[in-house]
Amino acid sequence: MNDLPDFRDLVGDDLAPEELGRLEHVDALLRAVPPPPAEVPASLTRSVGRITAVTPLWTRRRLAGALALAASLAALFFGVGAWTTGGGGLEARAAVPLQATESAAGASGLVRLGPRDEATGNWELEVVVSGLPKLPKGGYYVLWLAKNGKYAGTCGTFNVGAGTTRVRMSASYLLSEYDEWVVTAWLPGRDNSNAPWLLRASTEA
Amino acid sequence: MPVAVATSDTDADLIERVAGGDRDAFAELYRRFARPVLGMAMRQLGDNGRAEDAAQETFAAVWRSARSFRSDRGTGSAWLYAVARHAIIDRARQRREPVAEVVPDEPSAEAGPQDEAELSWLAWRVHAALEQLPERERVVLELAYWSGLSQSEIASYLDVPLGTVKTRTRTGLARLAPLLEEVRP
Repeated sequence: MNDLPDFRDLVGDDLAPEELGRLEHVDALLRAVPPPPAEVPASLTRSVGRITAVTPLWTRRRLAGALALAASLAALFFGVGAWTTGGGGLEARAAVPLQATESAAGASGLVRLGPRDEATGNWELEVVVSGLPKLPKGGYYVLWLAKNGKYAGTCGTFNVGAGTTRVRMSASYLLSEYDEWVVTAWLPGRDNSNAPWLLRASTEA
Repeated sequence: MPVAVATSDTDADLIERVAGGDRDAFAELYRRFARPVLGMAMRQLGDNGRAEDAAQETFAAVWRSARSFRSDRGTGSAWLYAVARHAIIDRARQRREPVAEVVPDEPSAEAGPQDEAELSWLAWRVHAALEQLPERERVVLELAYWSGLSQSEIASYLDVPLGTVKTRTRTGLARLAPLLEEVRP
């Protein structure tokens, strides 16, 4: 960057020449490289955290078999015959479009269902939303599963930025026991027990 | 992820422990290398989602393949870098867009693949070394070199005295020196 401070301004003038040389070398390296990413997304940390739950002794053949089984189950649960690809990181086996309610006109979303985690029985999924506003500090959105119109289990929480937001989560294995995917907002200092539904989709979609 | 390993453990030590199924060692490797791996993947793939997938695949491969690491053949970071590079290349191949062939009239002034690879390796080493600093020193250095803030502005931003910023800057650089001694820009 052009507005980088002078090396001497950074380290001062009272260093021994040898130490100055060592620090100058580091300074040159730092100036030569681009910045690291601001932070590691929590979604990556969560997904990597699940890696150690899977035995490292799995062969490619067994892994391929598990993925094939996961794909079959996903197709069975969701009635989706075709594999869904594109749009993001997760290799989705099914995609469920979320419909905006009157409380979130203009918003849209998608739940993309990935492979099943063999160790836990959870399904990896990715929620993709756009058109939802940024919430006040401390607030967040919640993706959850409903049964008979009532809360039945949380898949995860997320916040949104500008444009489209993608967040990885996981969902209970027996998705067929639930009726709908729902997105609501949780706002600090409010009674959120009857928060309006913003996005929704049938799990049978 | 819980971490119960000494920060003095070398990368090679950690990989060897991962080979034995040590989850804490794996968590420490992740802490050290997640940002460098992600940064490298983002630069090469240009897409956050795909970069995240490549980073995830890197650590999955580390967990699966740690037993193939031989400390007498190279450093732990070099091995992990190679694993990451393969994961990124695999991810890049999975969705390669067809490119219309255009023959340039003049040689491009942009960095070629070799230069890109060297910069990638350099950035990887520097970022990985940064991850080994105490957070308060790392943050000050990142702000100093990549935010465009002056030392006074950093002091104001972090709400610490200017002298503290200068001390942390110098201490951080000094701590990086032995980690980057062998690295050439």
